[in-house]
Amino acid sequence: MTADATPPPELDPVIHAQARLRVVAALNTLGDRDEMAFPALKDLLGMTAGNLSVHLTKLEDAGYVRITKTHKGRTPVTYVGLTKRGRLAFDEYTRAIRALLDHAGGSS
Amino acid sequence: MTDDPEAPPTPEETLRLIERQQAATVRQLKGEPLLLYLPWGVAWLIGFGAVFLHFGLDGRGLAPISQMQAVGVLQGAQVLAGAFAGFGIARRSRQVRGDASARGAMTGYSWAAGMALMIVICVRLSIALPEEEVQILWTGASLLVVGLMYMMSAAVWLEWPMFFLGAWTIAVDATGVMLGAGWQALLVAVLVGGGFIAASLWLRRRP
Repeated sequence: MTADATPPPELDPVIHAQARLRVVAALNTLGDRDEMAFPALKDLLGMTAGNLSVHLTKLEDAGYVRITKTHKGRTPVTYVGLTKRGRLAFDEYTRAIRALLDHAGGSS
Repeated sequence: MTDDPEAPPTPEETLRLIERQQAATVRQLKGEPLLLYLPWGVAWLIGFGAVFLHFGLDGRGLAPISQMQAVGVLQGAQVLAGAFAGFGIARRSRQVRGDASARGAMTGYSWAAGMALMIVICVRLSIALPEEEVQILWTGASLLVVGLMYMMSAAVWLEWPMFFLGAWTIAVDATGVMLGAGWQALLVAVLVGGGFIAASLWLRRRP
């Protein structure tokens, strides 16, 4: 089997969008049971609240993030964490990207 | 996917994007070094500087400042530094909940317990000691708590710079205790105070 004959690994379309990739990459640095507050995530990524919400909904629909709405005193706070499935998907995505990179490097 | 025109073009760029994002996240979650380290460095440089002026190196003071006044300057500076650091810690801990906040809380309580016991021991022993020994005891014991807490916090967060800062504090403290109150104050002001200032600036610049 030659390198040229190997098909490029399938890239997860949910994560492949740059904005969602950044969300998942950021959340992947947290511990398994840690969750990030929505405003902190918004500031970190430099996105608007609306834009981030749209991407988070797509990630939640895919089962990659869990969104918890709670209260701190009287203020409502939303926390976002990566699910096991999301962590796995991110690992697979980075592995696929590395494989693509090796593939490109090997065939050129 | 047609709804995301900004999909990253090449695998290299994608990997770089991931690395950049993860580095930025780690940096933001660690908190602001200019709030967490710099105020302590400045407080100790000024406060222990004042203590040094009182004691001098050969038993004669370098400025007309009483020990109470010098300790007052040190305490005032530390209260200010604590306010800055408290603000920095509150801002940092708002960002995340979960195991990270439990670690933060346990670290915080350890600080409080260590400092409380240190104060009890020092108050009890100060009664029986001359002025210079009292100063050596308080500085030596408080920096023991500070140094150990930094080393242990570094173990919790896997933070090597914090670990070395703690070890440095303990090494300077040990040397100072052996040399006497004047030297101790001078070394702590310049090497520990200066060390925290340098560390905060270096951590800030780190990519």
